[in-house]
Amino acid sequence: MRGRRCDLDLSWIIAAGTDGVLEAARAAGIGTLPRKQYGTADTFPSVKIEPHLAATDAPASLLTLERVEKRYGAFRPALVDISLSIARGEFLVVRGPGASGKSTLLRLLAGLESPTGGTVRLAGEDVARMRAASRVHLRRSMGILPSGDSLLDRHSVLHNVALAAWIAGTPREESLRRARAALDLVGVDVERYGAAPCTGLAAGVRHRVAIARALVNRPALLLLDDVVASLDQAAAAHVLRVIDQFTESGVTVVATDRIERQPENVEKAQTPTSVSANLEALPPAGAASPWPARARAIHLHDGKIVS
Amino acid sequence: MMNFTGGRLSALGEVFAGIFRRPLSFLLSIGALALVFASAIVCAAIARALPIDPPSWMQAQALVLVAGAEGEVDLAAVRSAISQVAPVAASEFVGRDVALARLAQRKGLTSIGLEELKPNPLPDAFAVRFAPGASPDAVEAAIAQLRKLHNVEGVEYPPEPYRKLSTLLQAARLVVVGGAVFLGASLAIAIGLVAAAWPRVDAQEVEVLHLLGADPAVVRRPYVYSGALYFLLGAAGAWGSLAGAAHWLAPALGDLAQKYSLAWSMDPPALGTGLAFCFFAACFGAMIASGAAYLAGRRVLAAQYP
Repeated sequence: MRGRRCDLDLSWIIAAGTDGVLEAARAAGIGTLPRKQYGTADTFPSVKIEPHLAATDAPASLLTLERVEKRYGAFRPALVDISLSIARGEFLVVRGPGASGKSTLLRLLAGLESPTGGTVRLAGEDVARMRAASRVHLRRSMGILPSGDSLLDRHSVLHNVALAAWIAGTPREESLRRARAALDLVGVDVERYGAAPCTGLAAGVRHRVAIARALVNRPALLLLDDVVASLDQAAAAHVLRVIDQFTESGVTVVATDRIERQPENVEKAQTPTSVSANLEALPPAGAASPWPARARAIHLHDGKIVS
Repeated sequence: MMNFTGGRLSALGEVFAGIFRRPLSFLLSIGALALVFASAIVCAAIARALPIDPPSWMQAQALVLVAGAEGEVDLAAVRSAISQVAPVAASEFVGRDVALARLAQRKGLTSIGLEELKPNPLPDAFAVRFAPGASPDAVEAAIAQLRKLHNVEGVEYPPEPYRKLSTLLQAARLVVVGGAVFLGASLAIAIGLVAAAWPRVDAQEVEVLHLLGADPAVVRRPYVYSGALYFLLGAAGAWGSLAGAAHWLAPALGDLAQKYSLAWSMDPPALGTGLAFCFFAACFGAMIASGAAYLAGRRVLAAQYP
């Protein structure tokens, strides 16, 4: 009952009656790796994952946001007129101060919430128009790091990570094996922490466990909120290197990065503009920034793209 | 509660683990549920046994004797006057000849030649029936009024039987009300106990499973199994108790029936019926638990993702 067993996790969409999504998804490369590629030796083979689907005719953008707006009741809108296009295999960093709409944007991309205006398209399909059950299933093909990690405190580190694989349809033993590999990948000592309940872990370890859970299914789309929060510089650099290797293999990454609020940026802000024009390369992974050189950034402020 | 470690069997294991963590609470819940089920079965049996309309013997009746023969008296006027006296519910004219014929057909009177009696000494009469539930005082006041009506020679009404019957009915009503209060209280206690012992929906778990794309059925499964188990055992307990009580009371009730010359038979409850009852109770419990878990999960997610 966890999920239908198939090579591509998105094949359930056909059964769910959302016409055309699978074809679009195949073309865009959404979906976890075909199961035959999950051998015992290649769970995370130095994270040199081969592009899992030929994407010669793939559309340019995997995710598209068209004039998206999100309001919560009578409060000021969390997102205003966001238009954004994210290509397959792109590493996009959404930067902004607290309460600028970064987490809201990620929740919209994950289908956890629906926009109050505009459209969020995943592989050309309007996410808000999918059935609720379909959106739930779709998240099996995503790796999501929510704000506040959302780990099950009473359960062990290993089970927290393996749970995501098990829900995606992986047998129990294989789920545990992948969980160990994922934890090892992000630098969590499985021997030391694997059996420990999450409740007593340090914030940095918890955060890495949550990242491991996002990676354990080798998803085609990674949505990572505050990915370097709670991590020291070395750990942050390590985690970002790992994620960058996923990007190299064709995985699309959208990560948020919290920065200090700078009022002068607001004054500089012009009317929201389209994204492709506003994407700018981050500083190379050098002295100041741990972010990979390939990563491109947009800046959000008060729910608007300002640069 | 979480059933990560497997599927249905693991969910069932979680349910049993929860039971063993709080066995006393579980037993109390099952006992209370069994009490509710047993009360419901008894109520259903009583409701099925009792007639919908009150039988004629539960109504006060009187015979209004008309002064004079048919043709000499305006019977329509008498009937009209009778019907206007409260709490008269109905009246039926019984002519003297019909009355004599009925009397002659009674056992023990056939041989004495009543039909040959000339002239017929019986008067014309109206058999009057009072409204069900009318108090004896009201009936006796109405009798007094009937006696005063024009062209009424007299009223035959023995007051004692209806007074006794009325007292008995009041006592029975008290018993029924007391039983209903007891049933309601036991139902409230049962709901409280079951709610206290029921596995809690873990908000964090619901949120995480939703985030990771778990089927809602995976989240609800342990609660559904728990509901089915509680109701199954409660129903089995109720059915077993009633079957045992019936088996134990059958000889005594049989003797009592024989003593009062009543036709009485008490068939033991059929095993098939009991099994079907337990099955439907389990389905009902699963349905309630599924609905409750669904609503709780939806509340959690609505708070998390408005």
